[in-house]
Amino acid sequence: MTEHPADWLVSPELAPSFEGTALAPLFEHAERGELAMPFCAECAEPFELDQEVCDRCTGTGAHWRPVPPSGVVHARTLVHRTASPLLRTTAPYPVLDVELDSAHRVVMTTLEPATRDWQIGDRVRVAFRRVGGVPVPAAVPTGDTDPTKEEPA
Amino acid sequence: MTSPAIVGLGTTPMTTQPGGRARDLAVVAIEAALSDAGLRREEVDGLLVASSQGIRPDRVSVELARQAGLGDLRLLEHLEIKGATTVAMVAHAALAVRAGLARRVLCVFADAPLRPGGSAGASYDNSGGVSGVRGLERASGVLGSVPTYALLASRYLAASGGTEEDLCAVAVSARAWAVGNPDAVSRTPLDCAGYHASRMVAEPLRVLDCARPVNGAAAVVVAGHPTAGVQPPAYVLGLGQSHPRRRRHGPGESWFGGGRVAVETALRSAGIARSGLDIVELYDPFSAVTLCLLDEYGLVPDGGPVGEFVRGGGIAPGGTLPVNTGGGQLAGFYLQGMTPLVEALTQLRGSAGARQVDGASTALVTGLGGRLDHHACLVLGREAGS
Repeated sequence: MTEHPADWLVSPELAPSFEGTALAPLFEHAERGELAMPFCAECAEPFELDQEVCDRCTGTGAHWRPVPPSGVVHARTLVHRTASPLLRTTAPYPVLDVELDSAHRVVMTTLEPATRDWQIGDRVRVAFRRVGGVPVPAAVPTGDTDPTKEEPA
Repeated sequence: MTSPAIVGLGTTPMTTQPGGRARDLAVVAIEAALSDAGLRREEVDGLLVASSQGIRPDRVSVELARQAGLGDLRLLEHLEIKGATTVAMVAHAALAVRAGLARRVLCVFADAPLRPGGSAGASYDNSGGVSGVRGLERASGVLGSVPTYALLASRYLAASGGTEEDLCAVAVSARAWAVGNPDAVSRTPLDCAGYHASRMVAEPLRVLDCARPVNGAAAVVVAGHPTAGVQPPAYVLGLGQSHPRRRRHGPGESWFGGGRVAVETALRSAGIARSGLDIVELYDPFSAVTLCLLDEYGLVPDGGPVGEFVRGGGIAPGGTLPVNTGGGQLAGFYLQGMTPLVEALTQLRGSAGARQVDGASTALVTGLGGRLDHHACLVLGREAGS
């Protein structure tokens, strides 16, 4: 069995299993260092990660393509409960719902352990952690805040 | 045509102690519901079963009919609409008796997440698998449902202009009701200082913002014609569901909106207005959800801000809108939708003791599944509808 460098947050048994699933292209692109997201193959409407039929044109099939690895925090929490043996940290850790500049919303933690207090509206760059060798999107602070996202609609 | 009615209610003790199997708890609740209704087993010809969506080695299933010694049935189903199942199940039973599919239908929910050597939290942490969107989230530290609902809560407070004081007011109100409920898990009086001193689980949710898992079961009997001379029936006056399509992309919100249809459908079929509801029993897995649902369902009188209403004691004992009058799932017990139903029945029977709402004769009961994705509502009343 291949040994992988340990992730800072979770045990390798939480490595996502994706082969043959709707999310496989996310991981295949991520192996090349690209963040890819699904769109309607017909009209390019953003899809959910496991969506099959378009709300707008009823076209079927998702087309995955690279998107800019950047976005803004849409919702945030700092998880203080770290009792699970599935976790490798005893310090509170962030979980962010990031709205990518492509409009997709993806839940992720951060590339490194918490070093700041995240707020809704913070700009992020998206990189990849490795969990059991599998690349998983993770947020990196840019230090900027998107003024249009601070006050949700 | 007289509305179908709930004519029997049976529960097990709600315990935070590990042990027991869901199946055994279900059998005890069924026995109690039959006894409460004054019915023998052979007088029931339908069974609907709901189980926790969590991975449990002993989930209850349609096998329960055989295990519980029920006879030849004309209706037997296991329903699954996540947390909305229990409330939707009673609606399903009401429609079935109305359609002549069965005469008396038992509806049962049982769960036993607390096991020897592990907390309920550990049971939830280990559920969800490693594939699909959920697998991706779990690899990001989203174990159990608390981190997800913490994200929803953070977004709701930001979008509504609310604060942690609103969450505190919900927790304090729930506890104030629970003080009068001998079946509630948390009955010690709570004030804001006690709330703020409680342990943070996932910001902004403290442990007192989260439902209290229990091992327990509840069963009800739905009948087309109430049995004379036993418990006062609670008539099923209105039904409604809503499963709004929301998307995990901008613009717009991903988690809020669309639930109001369920309440309005139920009220319309019952022929009553919101102002005609004496009590409201909401599915409250987290304090923030109570705020969301009051908002989403349009339940605040005069449509004012939810936070202000709750901070002013509007949903607490003595408030203008009694909500979750047994302490809800926050302070009462988390029986995934049976909690609001059991409390509504107890209130409508006038048997709620110290927490009884004077003259309670109509109730809204709601179930909620997923991430505010599935809404199921009942309007119950002491008087038969037309």
